[in-house]
Amino acid sequence: MDLQTLILELSRFWSAQGCILQQPYDLEVGAGTMHPETFLRVLGPEPYRVAYVQPSRRPADARFGENPFRLGKHLQMQVILKPSPPDVQELYRRSLEALGIDPAVHDVRFEEDNWESPTLGAWGVGWQVLLDGMEITQFTYFQQAGGIELTPVAAELTYGLERIAMFLGRRDSIYDVPWSGEASYREVRHRDEVELSRYAFQVADVAMLERHFADWEREAVRCLEAVGENGAPDPLVIPALEATLKMSHLFNLLDARGAVAVTERVALIGRVRRLAVRCAKAYLEQRQAMGFPLLSPGDAAGAAARRGGGGNGAAPAGGGAQRRAGSEGRRRVGRS
Amino acid sequence: MSYQFLLEVLCEEIPANALAPARQQLAERFAALLAGAGIEGATVRVFSTVRRLVVSLAGLPARLPDRVETVNGPPARVAFAPDGSPTQAALGFARGQGVEVGELRVIEGPKGAVVAVTRTVAGRPTVALLAEGVPPLLASLHFPKTMRWGGGEYTFVRPVHRVVALFGETSLAEAVPFELFGVASGTVTVGHRVVAPEEIDLRGVAGLEGYLARLAEAGVVVDQEGRRARLAAAIEALAAEVGCQVRPDPPLVAEHVELVEYPGVVRGVLAERFLALPEEVLVTALRHHQKCLVLERDGRVAPFFLAVADRPDDPEGHVVRGNEWVAGARLADAEFFFQQDRRRRLAEHASGLERLVFHQKAGSFAQKTEVIGQLGEALARRQAEGLAEPVRRAARLAKADLVTAMVGEFPELQGVVGGIYARLDGEEEAVWQAIADQYRPAGLEGPVPRGMVGAILGVADRLDTLAALFAAGEVPTGSKDPFALRRAALAVVKICAETPLERVAVPEAAAAAVALRAASDGEVLRTLLDFLREREHYYLVTAAGVSPDVAAAVLGARWGVVADDVARAQALEGVREEPVFADLAQAFKRVRHMVAKAGAAGPAAGRTPLVEPAELALASALGALQEQVAGEAAAGRYREALRGLAGMAAPLDRFFTDVLVLCDDGDLRQARLALLRDVEALFLEIADLSCLAAGG
Repeated sequence: MDLQTLILELSRFWSAQGCILQQPYDLEVGAGTMHPETFLRVLGPEPYRVAYVQPSRRPADARFGENPFRLGKHLQMQVILKPSPPDVQELYRRSLEALGIDPAVHDVRFEEDNWESPTLGAWGVGWQVLLDGMEITQFTYFQQAGGIELTPVAAELTYGLERIAMFLGRRDSIYDVPWSGEASYREVRHRDEVELSRYAFQVADVAMLERHFADWEREAVRCLEAVGENGAPDPLVIPALEATLKMSHLFNLLDARGAVAVTERVALIGRVRRLAVRCAKAYLEQRQAMGFPLLSPGDAAGAAARRGGGGNGAAPAGGGAQRRAGSEGRRRVGRS
Repeated sequence: MSYQFLLEVLCEEIPANALAPARQQLAERFAALLAGAGIEGATVRVFSTVRRLVVSLAGLPARLPDRVETVNGPPARVAFAPDGSPTQAALGFARGQGVEVGELRVIEGPKGAVVAVTRTVAGRPTVALLAEGVPPLLASLHFPKTMRWGGGEYTFVRPVHRVVALFGETSLAEAVPFELFGVASGTVTVGHRVVAPEEIDLRGVAGLEGYLARLAEAGVVVDQEGRRARLAAAIEALAAEVGCQVRPDPPLVAEHVELVEYPGVVRGVLAERFLALPEEVLVTALRHHQKCLVLERDGRVAPFFLAVADRPDDPEGHVVRGNEWVAGARLADAEFFFQQDRRRRLAEHASGLERLVFHQKAGSFAQKTEVIGQLGEALARRQAEGLAEPVRRAARLAKADLVTAMVGEFPELQGVVGGIYARLDGEEEAVWQAIADQYRPAGLEGPVPRGMVGAILGVADRLDTLAALFAAGEVPTGSKDPFALRRAALAVVKICAETPLERVAVPEAAAAAVALRAASDGEVLRTLLDFLREREHYYLVTAAGVSPDVAAAVLGARWGVVADDVARAQALEGVREEPVFADLAQAFKRVRHMVAKAGAAGPAAGRTPLVEPAELALASALGALQEQVAGEAAAGRYREALRGLAGMAAPLDRFFTDVLVLCDDGDLRQARLALLRDVEALFLEIADLSCLAAGG
């Protein structure tokens, strides 16, 4: 199965499960989790189902197009099911069938793999899904995002598309994966990988990146502190989050360039996280002010939520979310 | 009649490391639940698979035992008139309790005699106890990490899907009704996800054995021991087929037991070219991500691996082909890292340590490298000729692998990778071995570094870590020891004892380490010395097998040349049971007490001659023993030295009986105290016997 058929089949499957088919976020992000369709939509009581492909940037993982398994930019298929349905594992299994993988003749395993994102103040509990020994999906029950405890809990499925395509086609290199019937991954993307690697490791202008980091930080704060025509606070949540995501990517570039002293690392991540937490809080307040419009009217939880925030007051950031520092959008922890 | 109860909680996949502790807690808490209800003689058995927690109780009664209940009423003097007839108070109480007044008894309460009703309360059905007791018991289990799901109302290790709870005599026909995490208990479960995913109604199943058999038919080996046995047999058979043996890896096998419902094993083939990778890298690459077992033939890695699947078969060969592809990909990845790292010498990688922070307040690993070099060199010079140069070289390269791609990918190979790269760079054997062994020992068990260079490197590295982090205020407290400093200190002690480094004194080395971290604060060193000494005490007791008071006695005399401390401790442990040592310990306590009370020695010159026969005898015994004990001690014959000291028991006893030390004649008093000080000094060559517990 070529890469685009893989994407089409997964899209078709999850669309049939009631997911909105979203598009990739038009910013550089480290993971599909950073897309507002995940990061913001998992907050608060409103149900949501969405699926999209997200090109994910990990400049430090770039390998000049030389390593057959590693990319500085790879594709994730991200699925959010909120609240997590009781049959979520079964749905996932059927998504594999949609890809022509019959679980009855394979070894499909769910092995503990939790993650946290220090930059997003987010963490979750779940598994890596292994197919005949190959990790093909991250399966996570979101527990916290933006420092806010999540109720209801969303299930997040993240398919590593290149890996799956490589595995299904038994290719020894990502670049040999067919993208379409005619074009290979190499033909479509190899040159970008070489150039993006050179940029990330050798060329990126450190002083400019640092300057922009500080610029976007100020801009994020300005957006969060924006005032409406009546003089009341009216934060611009999406622009603020976009500024925050730019900071996150700038940080990753600085890190790949070797320009982040280890002593600064925690502090820089903390600057991004503080803004991510503020964005999350502002989004939740905004939705609450709107009466959580996606709640169905008969929903008892919805009514309670409309009255009192549904137990989703902005809890202080904490819990397990910020135990470790890291550069990327997602980081696995506690592999056992 | 004896009844059984069966509980199965079906969850989404439970983390492997959560299962053994959960089984233990379930066993304990169910036993406590039964004991609390007065049920005796029942058996509790607990099983688990990756998706199930299973508890079986047998030997249960149909009802809980009857209980005798006493209800106290009004005081006897209020309840009965002087003529013994019941008052209104008694009548009222009897009415309230629903008994005739004649059934009231008088008993002694805490505030005097009261009337009371004693009656037998019939025990309720055991099923009621279970229905009420199971949900809170399950909810109280402690897991390493818990989660919420769906509406977020419940917290458990993983979402719960079904609960089966059955009670009965031989056939478990009665459903025990309760709700657990929003799931109503019932009688229906499902089989293995792949082998038999359909529903199974367990109502009427023939007890635990019937349940285990029914689940086995559905592809689930519920008993972890059963899975362990199957796994071991399958592993051995697949290895034998190709004339190999499996490289033993008990922790990995134990993990696989927890990761499946039915353990199946497949054997994959490795491309020959990967056998050219350093063996540790090959094995770790297969183990780290893939949890594969490695096969060997004639002690060398063979071109096969074993992977464990959660299914009994591999009908279309997907499982083995998939695992082969992944293993090949992982090894190709490792090969890529290996080749990339090997473009530069290890010494060149070391330049990257400037950017790797060891601790916010304690600088980079480059700084640490520098300090370890200096400290290691000082220790090396003290220990033996010719060590300084290799120790300095090993220290310079020791941390360089932390910035290699290989250690970035496989952190557990730190040290090992450095050792391999140093060897391939042509470093001398003592140097590359020292680098490879620098993280040994892993704990109280496990080998120390192979050579003297590695031992000194290991001690210097850890003493520096301790000094730097103590100076940075990171002293472990209670259960908080995020930098594993207790383990580091224990490793210092263990290396010094077992290498042995007989010329390195830990306190002196620690002082040098603190000085190199420029900690001007004497408090840091004092705290560190107490910490190290406490760890040495732990080592003597746990690893050298001596009693705590013997360890205290030995360390109380002097401490830190650990091999010598161990020798003294073991000698003392060997002789302490001899009766004379009890007397000797008592006598020495008196000596120490007197000397301590007398304070500092007076002017030594012009010592007044001793006069009493008992003190002259003691002085002469001391004179005779001083040289002997010193000689034995110098030769490390501590048992003989201690036996020599035993010769002091009788003269000391006589001395304390016959001589008044604190006499009025000040000069004579000083002379007697001086004699006792000499006795004390002689004992303290070996041990502070006053620490020995009486009759210990």
